Amino acid sequence: MILEERIEYFAKVVPDKAAVICDEQTISYSCLWKHIQEKAQQMKEDGVCEGKPYVFLATQDADFIVTYCAVHVCGAVAIPLERSTPTERQQQIINETKDFSFASGTSDILYTTGTTGLAKGVIISEIAWQANAENLINRLGFTSDLLFIVCGPLNHLGSLSKIYPTLMMGGTLYIMENLKDLNAFFSVFELPFTKFATFLVPSSIKMLLQFASKELVAVSQKIDFIETGAAAISQHDMELLCQILPHSRLFNTYASTETGIVCSYEFSEYGCQPGLLGKPMKHSSVRIDENGRVVCSGKTIMSGFVNSSDLTAQVLKGCEVYTSDIGSLDEKGMLHLLGRKDDIINVGGYKVNPSEVEDAVQAYENIQDCICIPAKHIVLGTVPKLLYVPKQGQVVKPKDIADFLKGRIESYKIPLLYEVVDAIKRTYNGKLDRKAYK
Amino acid sequence: MKERIIELLSAALPMVDLESDFLFSELDSLGVTTILMLLSEEYGIELEARDATPKNLKTIDSIVKMVEEKLAK
Repeated sequence: MILEERIEYFAKVVPDKAAVICDEQTISYSCLWKHIQEKAQQMKEDGVCEGKPYVFLATQDADFIVTYCAVHVCGAVAIPLERSTPTERQQQIINETKDFSFASGTSDILYTTGTTGLAKGVIISEIAWQANAENLINRLGFTSDLLFIVCGPLNHLGSLSKIYPTLMMGGTLYIMENLKDLNAFFSVFELPFTKFATFLVPSSIKMLLQFASKELVAVSQKIDFIETGAAAISQHDMELLCQILPHSRLFNTYASTETGIVCSYEFSEYGCQPGLLGKPMKHSSVRIDENGRVVCSGKTIMSGFVNSSDLTAQVLKGCEVYTSDIGSLDEKGMLHLLGRKDDIINVGGYKVNPSEVEDAVQAYENIQDCICIPAKHIVLGTVPKLLYVPKQGQVVKPKDIADFLKGRIESYKIPLLYEVVDAIKRTYNGKLDRKAYK
Repeated sequence: MKERIIELLSAALPMVDLESDFLFSELDSLGVTTILMLLSEEYGIELEARDATPKNLKTIDSIVKMVEEKLAK
């Protein structure tokens, strides 16, 4: 309730101040709090109650904020899902969470592929959200006069985590569906605010640098800070961004749904170095285990996975989250990320488990065999590529496979590149030989 | 030119229905960027954010028109 208590507070002290702007509509703090209360009342009448899960789609608008907060006001657990989540998967999640016994203080369940490579629900407590928010407020400097532009999916930690510090400091959120209309993105800077900030994954930064450097220069005086994360940003892009935005603070953050927001490095101030994520923030600690894995602890970490005590025991040992990231700590205590320990493909910040893609493709009747591998893409850097063997006499076009996968797996998991091959390499015991494709 | 653009875009964006009359609404930010990058490389034209309007990317024909206009400059 930390977020909702702050919205209620600002509704009293600055009732007319803009809390959320979306679709050319501005919602003040007093209106937002009123909508939240009304929605919560309606939910209670519909049976939403303390400790029970509430599954809903993360629409990219003010309604999402209202619903998300109303769930918390009811004392229920918010489970926002990506908008493209297939109906069957939604029902599966409803079934797997409806009888789960949530500990007191549980806030949300976020579904992710992150650390383990398996799609599962990460339990996040109110304490973790508060710690994440304080980490961000302290390191990035959220203030009441800031307009924060959210242009990524709100079911994802990267964007959802920004609601907290922005609204907890009495700032203003601007919600965009995505970044595809760059003109719409730049028109936000015409609003009467003096300080703007946003979170952009590295592929979005690359896109802006390539196609909108003039527009970035034009608004450079207004950009207070940009935070990136979720995937590796190149040194070239960091340096170019520093040149174009000499007045802005630019951060590279280390975070995951399981660990929370752990480290952030201001590369505009201290120098551009790929993989350098800085020192742990106020509520976080990092160590490297004997296998080189990054291990995180502190108030921001998850409480566990839904319905998976085995998986929880593998990742959450005592008060520490064992990530799949390989890293090192330098003499100043700064974290350097070196790579991943598993086969997960990082697509612009989204984690794709190739096995999940292959399982979905195998259900297509004209495919004999397939493997999903990482491949280079001109925009995203890395994307899933499907190598496949059609059944004898069958012609299978990439679009046939992509259409088949729509509605079966989330859209970001659908391979963007395809290649027909004669055979898929397997090991002596029949397993996919992933190393042969690296 | 239209056939070549369809060939280029369908290879890079297999999930997108390029024959759609509402192409822009089918695209995400990656799709828009991919189109700008591929076309600027293929035709040696300078495309910018301001070119990626819903009007210019409404259909494959409007994309062809945008490229033709850039080439004529």
